[in-house]
Amino acid sequence: MRRCLECAKKEPDCPCLECKYFIQQGPLRRVPSPPIRILLEDEQGKQYPADILALNTTEFGLQTEAPVPGRYVIKLQESLWVEVAGVPFKGKNNVHVFDILCVHRRQGTASRLNNEEYQLLIGSNGELVAEISRHLPEHLQDLVREKLLAELEKSELISALRVGKVLKYEGGRFRYLSGQADLDLPMEEAEKLMRQATRHAEHRREVIISANGQKVFDLHGVPFDHRSGGLLAFDVTEVIEKERKIHRQEMEAYREAISAVTGGRLHLVNGEEAKRLLSEGVEIAKGEARQAHDIPEARRALRGSLPGIDSRRQHAIALCFSEALTNALKHAGGGCWQVIRAGDAVRIIVQDRGPGIKTSELARATLMQHYSTKNSMGCGFTLMLYYADYLYLNTGPSGTTLALDFGNVLTDKLNIEKTD
Amino acid sequence: MLKVAVDAVPGVRRVMLNGELDMETVSLLHEVVREGDEDTLELDLSGLSFVDSTGLKGLLDINNNWQQKGGQVLILHPQPDVAEVMRLVGLDRLLAQNGALAGEER
Repeated sequence: MRRCLECAKKEPDCPCLECKYFIQQGPLRRVPSPPIRILLEDEQGKQYPADILALNTTEFGLQTEAPVPGRYVIKLQESLWVEVAGVPFKGKNNVHVFDILCVHRRQGTASRLNNEEYQLLIGSNGELVAEISRHLPEHLQDLVREKLLAELEKSELISALRVGKVLKYEGGRFRYLSGQADLDLPMEEAEKLMRQATRHAEHRREVIISANGQKVFDLHGVPFDHRSGGLLAFDVTEVIEKERKIHRQEMEAYREAISAVTGGRLHLVNGEEAKRLLSEGVEIAKGEARQAHDIPEARRALRGSLPGIDSRRQHAIALCFSEALTNALKHAGGGCWQVIRAGDAVRIIVQDRGPGIKTSELARATLMQHYSTKNSMGCGFTLMLYYADYLYLNTGPSGTTLALDFGNVLTDKLNIEKTD
Repeated sequence: MLKVAVDAVPGVRRVMLNGELDMETVSLLHEVVREGDEDTLELDLSGLSFVDSTGLKGLLDINNNWQQKGGQVLILHPQPDVAEVMRLVGLDRLLAQNGALAGEER
């Protein structure tokens, strides 16, 4: 809905129908071809035919005899109707701009078309879905259309997409239907997806990274029959980049929070910092843990490498070592370990190639007592936080590195603020 | 490595633990205490030199299982390092409710 600053200030609930200070929403773009025939219905129930010549998510450009200004309802589907108001200027040959006041859907109302509805009208999804259901018996068409649209809506990325492309697949060949023609898709992957979709007669979805790693595509394969189907491709590179940025910001926030609540003892570190942790001090023992039996063996090797350290301290280090190895074994199927010595100080490092700790679970996994994603008491981290002087954790989809310091190892190089 | 010696007195199963209780050995302990119709399970930890969170989880499970079938578990004579770890994770409180950690003070 277009609102002018003046009206919005004076009467926030009232649309400015006859006001000359309209805020421009951007040009009316996307011309459906051929124009879509609809009916405008006024408050008295009188109907006027109209053609949608152009639209964006907040306005329609309609050719109609319906008088403007005036309010109308447009029924687009059984469960989707739009309230519009004609804008009484800039009209030529009975072409007028109609502001979208309210979109009524089965799930609620909104002041603009959502992406699926917009796509439905401009043709890409709608055309495809119509194409898909055209060959079906009449009584099934609506049902199938509704199902397919619902399937498309399931793609959580779809509403954030910027550009898309729709192709028809038939017997191993693709034909361009609509959307952004110059979108350079990974066709080999697309064909594989379509083969699977048509073979199994079900919707298939895959997120594919282009060969050069520059683009990320969200591909949807919708089968028509056993040899043909529709391919919807969306360039979601920007969306992914945005997600990554949010993830980085989240990690930064966690990093600060976790460091603060542990009195500066537990640090989330990035990959580079984790590498530096490995390079400090002198390595005095190392090994791997692949099965439960390796854990007591590793503890023995650790204790053997720590002569001259009193038994209480040895016990504390061995306990933390045991916890770190058990975590690696339980969550990642094993890992490798190192013991580093720098003077009186000891650092133990355990690395695994598991799926990592999810950001959303990080705080709970590291700080909350008795929390664990695997069935264990989950107090491993509690014990490590108690006995180790400093903990460094690097975790991600390619693995987890945990370094535990007992005493001050040469961590000044790490550029991490210390409390003592 | 964990060695377990079982001593059956009428109504009481007395289990002596010698060695280390962790991911490798916890299943052995479960084996030993699973079957039985005694009212009381006594776990003597005086020979237990090491326990980690996985071992403690085992002790907790055993305690809960025995309580569920109406029995009780007494955990006796933990070495200082083991007693400290139990206290840190709140397990001493859990077991002390049944007087199960009575041995620690002796």
